[in-house]
Amino acid sequence: MSMAFDILLALGIVFTAGTALGLRDRIASVTGFVITGLLIALSFVRLGAPDVALAEAAIGAGLTGALLLRSALRLKPAEGSKSPALQRFLAASIATGLSCALAWAVYTAPGTALYPALVSEGLAKSGVDNPVTAVLLNFRVWDTLLEIVVLFAALVLVRIIAPAVPQPEALGELMLPFMRVIIPVCVFLSGHLLWQGATVPGGAFQAGAMLAGGFLVLFMGGLALPTPRVMAFGKALALAGLAIFALAALATEALTGTLLFYPDGDEKIWIIAIESALTLSIAAMLYLLFCGMPRRPAK
Amino acid sequence: MTPDFIYIFAGAGLVGLAMYRLATRRDMLLRVLALNFLAIGVAMILQASAFGETLTDAVPQAFVLTGIVVLVGVTAALLALAEQIDGHDDE
Repeated sequence: MSMAFDILLALGIVFTAGTALGLRDRIASVTGFVITGLLIALSFVRLGAPDVALAEAAIGAGLTGALLLRSALRLKPAEGSKSPALQRFLAASIATGLSCALAWAVYTAPGTALYPALVSEGLAKSGVDNPVTAVLLNFRVWDTLLEIVVLFAALVLVRIIAPAVPQPEALGELMLPFMRVIIPVCVFLSGHLLWQGATVPGGAFQAGAMLAGGFLVLFMGGLALPTPRVMAFGKALALAGLAIFALAALATEALTGTLLFYPDGDEKIWIIAIESALTLSIAAMLYLLFCGMPRRPAK
Repeated sequence: MTPDFIYIFAGAGLVGLAMYRLATRRDMLLRVLALNFLAIGVAMILQASAFGETLTDAVPQAFVLTGIVVLVGVTAALLALAEQIDGHDDE
């Protein structure tokens, strides 16, 4: 029974992805992308990874979908006809070959998992009960710090290029009642995801994405427009997360002598403090990535 | 029977589709879309290989989570660059 569900879901994912990539209409393509993203989130649940499923639904499908929709209306359609038949044939053969080779290599790879034993051994000392949060914010916290730096680098690039700021249109009378329901829900869910991330699936990234979704709803409703004051606040928030994370790293170095090795017994306080800063910072960064940061008009 | 091997093939299918479209579509938005599908396909394979009967390996989960967040940054940067290229064509 569950096997039939998995097969159906896998076929659905490949089918919607193929449709999304094959359509001529861009809006339809992006819609297909969002639907595929949600199906993929479901497949991550089936694979026993609810943390990843939450992130995929909120960031992969939701925010990336919003970014793509924004640009779908701005980018000009590509001129020129289809690629030549030979190029398409070669691309199809190479893609099929690589795809089959990948599946075969992974399928026949000898499977001895090294990490689960190490993770469950260290979990008791990590300060949190959720193994994924333990890996992200204790065992491999250096990776997470660099990940925020990557996000920040993307933000700097967008700042330099300064794409046009989207102009939301009036969305009708029901937008305000909708916002009154959805914004508090976003804020509550974000806080909930952040706090529960210590014990059950959730965490800073999902919470930040949720909050960013709330910001985008406000933006679409004509509130939280990127005025200079909102922008300055957003930039300060985006920087603050990275700064607090970096300062925490230096503080651990000073306290314990090892970079990002939390003092014994206080791991949970450190993790929650860093995660809270990250949540606000990620939300601000995602909002700024969507809105773009206009240059100040030259005087 | 476990669901993991089904999703290995689904992920490989996504990778194949994305690579084909990446090579044949000229539309920049669709190329960014294809890149997203490529990354998600790889994430799915990684996640499927982390699947265990009793508990799922947490380390690949953290990798995939990191990948998803980096991907949204890359997408935003690429779209900003694509809009910049479009703007240059006008001049």
